[in-house]
Amino acid sequence: MNHTELKKRLKRLLVDGLKLEGVDPESIQDAAPIFVEGLGLDSIDALELVVLVEEQFNVVIPDEEVGKLAFASIDALAQYIAQQQRAQAAQGGA
Amino acid sequence: MTAAGLDGRRALVTGASRGIGRAVAVALAAAGARVAVNYARSEAEAEATATTISAAGAEVEIVRADVSDGQAVAGMFDQLKRRWGGIDILVNNAAVTHDGFLMMLSEAAWDQVLATNLRGAFLCARHAVRSMIAGRWGRIVNVVSPAGMLGKDGAANYAASKGGLLSMGKSLAREVGRYGITVNAVCPGLVETDLIASMPAEMRRAYLRQIPLQRFGDADEVAAAITFLASEAARYITGATLTVDGGLTMI
Repeated sequence: MNHTELKKRLKRLLVDGLKLEGVDPESIQDAAPIFVEGLGLDSIDALELVVLVEEQFNVVIPDEEVGKLAFASIDALAQYIAQQQRAQAAQGGA
Repeated sequence: MTAAGLDGRRALVTGASRGIGRAVAVALAAAGARVAVNYARSEAEAEATATTISAAGAEVEIVRADVSDGQAVAGMFDQLKRRWGGIDILVNNAAVTHDGFLMMLSEAAWDQVLATNLRGAFLCARHAVRSMIAGRWGRIVNVVSPAGMLGKDGAANYAASKGGLLSMGKSLAREVGRYGITVNAVCPGLVETDLIASMPAEMRRAYLRQIPLQRFGDADEVAAAITFLASEAARYITGATLTVDGGLTMI
């Protein structure tokens, strides 16, 4: 899946997974903060997002530090997932 | 559907080879749950517990892991994920003691007890919550102790671990309530186990005088309280402590 597709999918995941009523996935900006400002989600909502992202993209978000960086924005999240998947592919190939 | 409504639920009981852990594993299975019996060292006893459970017609899994070991815990949850897709109920029961007056307590004695009793519970909960959030349903029951609420001379490490477990549980309850996950504690008093049986007669008598119900408890009586907290009926209870001690502490 290319980067644009990934971001689209993540926005969809955010809206559906966290049940954000009346929010159009397309209206979510790539570089905008996902938590606190922006969509008004508090950090506990992040837990559910972590679980959804881990399951759907087969990645691991092991702790707070990594989570903060990965969930800074849709861009950051897409980048993190792509990075993880490249690392997994490299390990698999070796 | 059994009264507790736990049919199909997947439960993990740590330290389920003997005592209260074993009684809880058996009780949850009787209430309809599939049960994973965790143990660290007592393999024969764990297998005996599993046999009792499967003989009664329930589904059981044995999972070996020293809960103080992060990698072992990760491996245990991997195993359960592959087998059942995750778990719905976690009973943090695994505990060790290593008594001594604080002034004389070695660092190892302190670390070992905190590692199994508190860190182990943290590590298990950290994994368990993930599958519970996914299913938007969960029950975590932490087995604490009067020592954790009142202190206990000669067991400051044990008391600290149990007091810490209580607060950790309450903190977690505040975090995951929105996902339909309850986190509670059960505080058993003096329960008739090998430990109590080996107590000198005079000591037993002294304790009995302090217990309004005038007897030691039964592991099944503690298991009943834990099964209740794991049930549908307890869905509005979280951050609570259910004390099962015959009136010993009345906390």
